[in-house]
Amino acid sequence: MTKKHFFLAALFAAAALPIVLAQDASLAIPRTIQAGDALVVSSSGSGNGTLYIVGPNQVLKRHMQPGEAPQIPPGVLIHAGHYLAILSTGSSTQSASFDVMPSDKPTKVSFLAEPSRLPVALHEGVAGAVYVFDRFGNLIVKPTPVTFQLTTPAGSAQTNQVVTRNGAAWTKMNTTAHEGRDSFVARVGDISVTRLVHQVAGDPCGLSMSVHPVGRDLQLETAPVRDCSGNPVPDGTIVTFSETYDGSLSTADVPIKQGIAKVDLPAHPGGVLSVASGVVLGNQIRWEK
Amino acid sequence: MKSGRLLAILLIGITIALIVIGTLHPASIAVAYAGGTGAFSSSATPEQAVRNLAGDIRLQQWNHAYESLANKTDFTQDQFQHDLTGYYPSLHRFATLDSFEVFPLHASENNAEVRLELHWSTVVGPSLSNRELKVAKVADQWKVEWPLIKEPVVQPRVLSDDYLRWDVIYRGAGDDWGKQEVDSPHVTIVDMHPVQRADGVVILGELLNEDVVPAYVSVSASLLTKDQSVIGTESCFDEISHLLLPKQVTPFRINFPNKTLTEVRSIRMEPFSSLVSASTGPVIAIDNERINPAPDASLSGQLINESGNVVNVAHVLGTLYDGTGQVIWVVDKYVTRALLPGNPASFNIPIPEDLARKVASQRTVISSFSFGGAA
Amino acid sequence: MITAVLQLPCVAVTERSCHRQRATLTIARSGARLLWKRFGTAIASLILFPWLAIPAIAQPNVHVDASMPSSPRPIESQTERAVVRDYLQSWKAMDSAFDHNRSDILAQDFIGGAAEQLSGAIKDQSALGIRTRYQDISHDIRFVFYSPEGMSIEFTDVVKFNVQVFDHGRLISSKVENARYLVVMTPSEVRWSIRIFQATQA
Repeated sequence: MTKKHFFLAALFAAAALPIVLAQDASLAIPRTIQAGDALVVSSSGSGNGTLYIVGPNQVLKRHMQPGEAPQIPPGVLIHAGHYLAILSTGSSTQSASFDVMPSDKPTKVSFLAEPSRLPVALHEGVAGAVYVFDRFGNLIVKPTPVTFQLTTPAGSAQTNQVVTRNGAAWTKMNTTAHEGRDSFVARVGDISVTRLVHQVAGDPCGLSMSVHPVGRDLQLETAPVRDCSGNPVPDGTIVTFSETYDGSLSTADVPIKQGIAKVDLPAHPGGVLSVASGVVLGNQIRWEK
Repeated sequence: MKSGRLLAILLIGITIALIVIGTLHPASIAVAYAGGTGAFSSSATPEQAVRNLAGDIRLQQWNHAYESLANKTDFTQDQFQHDLTGYYPSLHRFATLDSFEVFPLHASENNAEVRLELHWSTVVGPSLSNRELKVAKVADQWKVEWPLIKEPVVQPRVLSDDYLRWDVIYRGAGDDWGKQEVDSPHVTIVDMHPVQRADGVVILGELLNEDVVPAYVSVSASLLTKDQSVIGTESCFDEISHLLLPKQVTPFRINFPNKTLTEVRSIRMEPFSSLVSASTGPVIAIDNERINPAPDASLSGQLINESGNVVNVAHVLGTLYDGTGQVIWVVDKYVTRALLPGNPASFNIPIPEDLARKVASQRTVISSFSFGGAA
Repeated sequence: MITAVLQLPCVAVTERSCHRQRATLTIARSGARLLWKRFGTAIASLILFPWLAIPAIAQPNVHVDASMPSSPRPIESQTERAVVRDYLQSWKAMDSAFDHNRSDILAQDFIGGAAEQLSGAIKDQSALGIRTRYQDISHDIRFVFYSPEGMSIEFTDVVKFNVQVFDHGRLISSKVENARYLVVMTPSEVRWSIRIFQATQA
């Protein structure tokens, strides 16, 4: 080791020495307390001093009188987390670490449910996740039972009971074969949170139309448009009618109204009429008259 | 002293000379903006008569234009003006005549035929219209016989429109984590096909709204090299129908100018959708839709407004497919006139000549906008 | 550095004292040169020591375990990288915010309950004349939960960090701490933000 290295090392040690000396005595402090509880600190020091409680979630400072045992009253330390307690007197500084733990009683539940709208008869289509908090907004990490329930307007229900891990619980559920607005509930103790999940009809199934002459035009009308489970396709869904004749084409995008779609197109003898919705094709009719 | 006086006299003399020249031979634009007719504004030839008329139309000097017509007793000035601007709010109503061209077709001693091409500037781009004009000699002047196209009469009647309408209620302000929100509409790209054209790379495709709610949609694409670095990112603005009702399909065309397909290893497509309030009406049928072969290949047809409302702006989008059903091109055009209920309005959209022979089928969609009745 | 000094000739009247002064100066300069030559590194270190300590721990060691055996959804590598990157950035933001007592620095990195708690702590310490520094030294991140709809990611982080507490500019304490944090991050428009930032018992 060269002389230069020796001097450098000595300098580092000298800079650190005051801090090391100041922390040679530890505070007697509980390793953990529950959020909202009082904190009593025992120290070997005497005389005036200042108690610091420092953490990213909360910072406190108390001036101590001679003979007074430093403490934090109940209801002050409410945020769960890791804290450093520092007692600084004129002659020394003592420190110790402790943790504030969340309480066990759930008071608030954050319920994430997706999606708000999805097709019927979808396996594990509905997903829910829950985070459980105590009254101070701390995440409760102790395993806590959670009940998820998905109920259809007809009253049939799927239930799933799980236990939180690291404060979170989740579930996946199937949608039923019937369209409607389902109620998706997450229940933790006395607390329940409800989300609405709209089950919508799937793609049109068995799309078919009929044709009737009306004057010089043809009225094209679909049968009631339903999905493969028999659910009516919502009004407003676009149905495309087409007529092909002599190398020309006539089309119309028509919304379903009260379950059916209809339109008037010019009549062309020999024309081929067809119907479609999205990527689903319906029947074709050749008009000979 | 002497030279100063001489200079002053010279300047005064030049000024007077210029004033005289300007008075006798004014610039036509200056005359028009000053509200005058110019000292030598004559219709000595059929072409000059048509040019004068077009100049009046450009400057919206309707009274002067109407008075110069040979057949002004056949219609009123209002009818003449609305023949050019439209009776209802439309793209044409808010357009200005940017320029014009005159093509003599036939001329005799007292009669002539001239084609007038009018280049309009609209909010969505240029628009071209043509009129074949007869010009007759009256005394020493040539005058235009204007071929008025009368506005179709819409039969007065009562129509009940009960088109379905969607409105959206969003969650309120504030960060309540997990609070219920409405999902954006589910859209999916059902077809995507990049092609190399002379002026760059073009991405063609179709987008489907597979949800049960209306969607405002857009598509953007990024061209990526082998190492996933981005060559360019573009989005689709005009060659797409931005409002998609449930189960509706729109084509899209995204242009990448000055890019070559050989540099591209992969393409990242990003469809975008958001909930919007919308109505299912009006329904616009397309009649007599056909592909006209080269030369002058085009997609043509007629739009029929089947509702009781005037449609002020209609955007026609044509998807062209080859024999295998793949999208080979997307064309579009705005109809500059309002669509009146029940009255067919024609459209004709040019198709690139090299693609026209590959077209086996087509599909046309209409995007429309209404904002009021007759002016 | 000691540079050459222009020496004026000594005037006859005070020549003796002048020479004495010059001799003293020359010796002092020589001594200073010798001292700098031998101990220059130490002297520079003494001046720079408080500042050298900080850059030395600017880049923490990071270990990540993304296996998540009991999660309903696996995490994609791109998401994992983004979450870790944004989380480490959040530590930097937290350090800076507590050091300067500026809660606005947290705006991009913390939202919801975490933002409220940290902002509250900054406000408290600012009112008390306190500054703190949280300099992360190492992270051992273990992903535990990715919610099925993709709107939240939870992980634990056994973090080693240096805490310095200043009261009205005076360093009260500087200590290396170990803590196990439970972190929940949720995606915002351009990044992942910390919604829950809570140390738990190790």
